[in-house]
Amino acid sequence: MELFINIIQDIIFSAIAAIGFASISNTPPSAMRYCALLAAIGHCIRFLLMGELNVHIIVASTLAAIIIGSLAIIFAPRAKCPPETFSFPALLPMIPGMYAYRAVQGLVMCLSSSVESTFNHYSYLMWFNGLTCVIVITGMVIGVTLPIFIFKRISFSATRDANSDN
Amino acid sequence: MMTAENMCENRVDNTHDMLKQKCQFISTYAATMLGCGATCIRIRKNVGRIAQSFETDVEMTILPAHIILTLWDLQHTHSYNCTVRPIGGSIDFSRNIKLSKLSWDIVEKRIPCEKAMQLYDRIMLDKPLNKWTVLLLASAANASFCRLFGGDFHAVGIVFIATLVGFLLKQILIEDKVDIRITTIASAFVASVIGAAGYVFNLTGTPDLALGTSVLYLVPGIPYINSVSDLIAHHYLCSFSRFMQAVILTVCLSLGLCGGMYLMQMQWF
Repeated sequence: MELFINIIQDIIFSAIAAIGFASISNTPPSAMRYCALLAAIGHCIRFLLMGELNVHIIVASTLAAIIIGSLAIIFAPRAKCPPETFSFPALLPMIPGMYAYRAVQGLVMCLSSSVESTFNHYSYLMWFNGLTCVIVITGMVIGVTLPIFIFKRISFSATRDANSDN
Repeated sequence: MMTAENMCENRVDNTHDMLKQKCQFISTYAATMLGCGATCIRIRKNVGRIAQSFETDVEMTILPAHIILTLWDLQHTHSYNCTVRPIGGSIDFSRNIKLSKLSWDIVEKRIPCEKAMQLYDRIMLDKPLNKWTVLLLASAANASFCRLFGGDFHAVGIVFIATLVGFLLKQILIEDKVDIRITTIASAFVASVIGAAGYVFNLTGTPDLALGTSVLYLVPGIPYINSVSDLIAHHYLCSFSRFMQAVILTVCLSLGLCGGMYLMQMQWF
């Protein structure tokens, strides 16, 4: 039951996060439902992979990003939007912000440490969090971008035959 | 009486004027695509499609701050060159979609250049989402982020308020055309000061999450993603430029966060 509630929470909050971040990039309202759907699916998959199957965050994030990118290709002709319009905002809730924050923390503490052992401790925290953050983001971005390049024909003709308002 | 020499000159003038008009439209189109955050491969494909529909050949160099575009007639006897700067300065998916659609309409409805320019002007007049709606949605998004990281509902509330104030400041500074780096530092500073409320007033069980998440709405996620997309498509200069732009904004965000924490005399670990 707890797992079910956690999944529902994950779905709801990742969908809200995707819609909010999409609005910052002026995504049209018609594409926002796809942002929410993809973010919910992607984040939920990562949550299950990490929580239930103990998959590392780097692998889990990359797999979830590949699924988001692939689903975006499927939905693009239906939404009459380029796939990146909703796959990129859908990816943002998975960005490992806390790792980035802790890497910055580590950097600042390194600079204010005068004792070698303390410096090494904070240096370790900075590198561990920073590297994890960078590799997770790289894996996610490559994962979401690859389907666009593999299915070029669909990706670059999604806006074709759209009902013109003009 | 019209001589053969005059007729030839007129034809050259017509070809030149035709190329000039089409080149100016296509280069403006490409500059707008670049300005609204389209990936290089999409700009190249859309521009190629329009040029083909106009019965011309196009060569284009996409640089971080300019687009250099040369348009040829099909016989490659005449050409016209334009160098343009990106138009618009923020990510705008709505404009990206409409311009992509315009490129297909030009091809499939055989829209001539004059009409295409009118349609382009109409797209440029379209208004973005209401700024108050964006403010609320962004605040809700960042608050949701906090919950996804494991923050309790008190922390979620703190992050919502911190984002609301920080993002409002960002909107005001952008409207006043303040440099984006200063805007990011100021916005992160204000958001982190409010985000530190959990520590200062002991309001939440997860004050570190409230503070760490309060500035995440400033992370330039789309430029990071675009830079990888350009990298895969062999547009290395644009890729590096977008990456550096995102890195600089991330550093500004960190500076604002550090400033806010210093002001609030926070202990880090």
